Amino acid sequence: MSSVSRVSGANRLKRRHLIAVAAAAALGAVGAFRGLREKDEREGLPGAPGGPGFDETYRGRRIQGEPTTGEREHGPDGWRVTVDGQPLGLMRRADGSYLSMVDHYQSYATPLAAARGAVDELGSYQTLSGRLH
Amino acid sequence: MAYTRKNQNSLSRAERRRFVDAVLRLKRRGEYDEFVRTHIDFYVSDGDDRLRVAHMTPTFLPWHRRFLLDFERALRRIDDSVTVPYWDWTKDRSPAASLWGEDLMGGNGRRSDRRVTTGPFARGNGWVVKEAVTDGDFLTRDLGRRADPLELPTRQDVAWAMAETVYDVEPWDSTSRRGFRNRLEGWTEESGSARWRNHNRVHRWVGGHMLGGASVNDPVFWLNHAFVDLLWSRWQRKRPDSAPYLPAKPPTLGDAQYQRIVARREPMPPWRTTPQDMLSHKSVYRYAE
Repeated sequence: MSSVSRVSGANRLKRRHLIAVAAAAALGAVGAFRGLREKDEREGLPGAPGGPGFDETYRGRRIQGEPTTGEREHGPDGWRVTVDGQPLGLMRRADGSYLSMVDHYQSYATPLAAARGAVDELGSYQTLSGRLH
Repeated sequence: MAYTRKNQNSLSRAERRRFVDAVLRLKRRGEYDEFVRTHIDFYVSDGDDRLRVAHMTPTFLPWHRRFLLDFERALRRIDDSVTVPYWDWTKDRSPAASLWGEDLMGGNGRRSDRRVTTGPFARGNGWVVKEAVTDGDFLTRDLGRRADPLELPTRQDVAWAMAETVYDVEPWDSTSRRGFRNRLEGWTEESGSARWRNHNRVHRWVGGHMLGGASVNDPVFWLNHAFVDLLWSRWQRKRPDSAPYLPAKPPTLGDAQYQRIVARREPMPPWRTTPQDMLSHKSVYRYAE
């Protein structure tokens, strides 16, 4: 069972969001349900395109994402995502999905799912360098 | 006189040594890391509203042909007997293949942290990763993705790409449903491990640095792309009546791809080289097949 603890800003989230996120994370912990995880995290969840931000601990890493407006430094318009405070470059694919700079070959429905995917790939021993594309 | 690119599994011991030595010298001079940086800088995804020349785009093949030529030229300035070998992953499919031997690419990363510990590109043997999006300074690999194994692309995957009679189709990106370029690059609408084909699947199979923008840190990058380049050449021979590159004309104002892709006679940054310039390589190199 993967632990997802909300660290701040959680009070802005509705209860059903919390339950849905916890359920999605639990599924995400099982590799066999990879496909399900992607389908389950869509509109209305934290981190969905145009949705609310997120701030959680996933597999021991703090992942945060905020919708932004105005000039972007990197990545798709409208999101700033960090893992343990280091910026995670996200890119948008033409089909609307998100790729992270840690893995250019798997895309996810939401920035949150892409951030979790990046954490999965980083494992327990690597951190982001802070370098963006 | 054109030189020859050979299958890595046919290299003599001396040829392997000279290739590896030239790569190591390029690295020591700092030139190798310029190639790593260029590849990172030019990774633009197709949901991004700006020019993309390297991936998810018709110029995926000519851009990488030019990139390999620059690398090969740099190697040949050091040793003019060296050429970039290719890795036919439809045949050399195992982490036990000689490709991963200590005198060529070195072996898999260790399980704990995926760190490559054998061969010329191990940190302990002096190969220091400097340009990356992660903080480790050692090369990483996870051949075959041990936690959730997958196979390298097959002859059938290559045949699926070769069956395409058109070079590329609208919308000229990773969602193009037909076309040789997107099928060889390897984007699909599938999920699970069926999503990766051909070129993309090789990046996934090697894992570690090969997964991200800094994939050039792993010298197997060049051997994969030499084979992709060979397959483009083979497709052209097989399809003499097909346009060798599309689009012929740039998309016009109002088209979703306006100023985002390069047409046949337009330059591909960072060079002035056009796709047209890259359509034939026979005066420069040939492949021993």
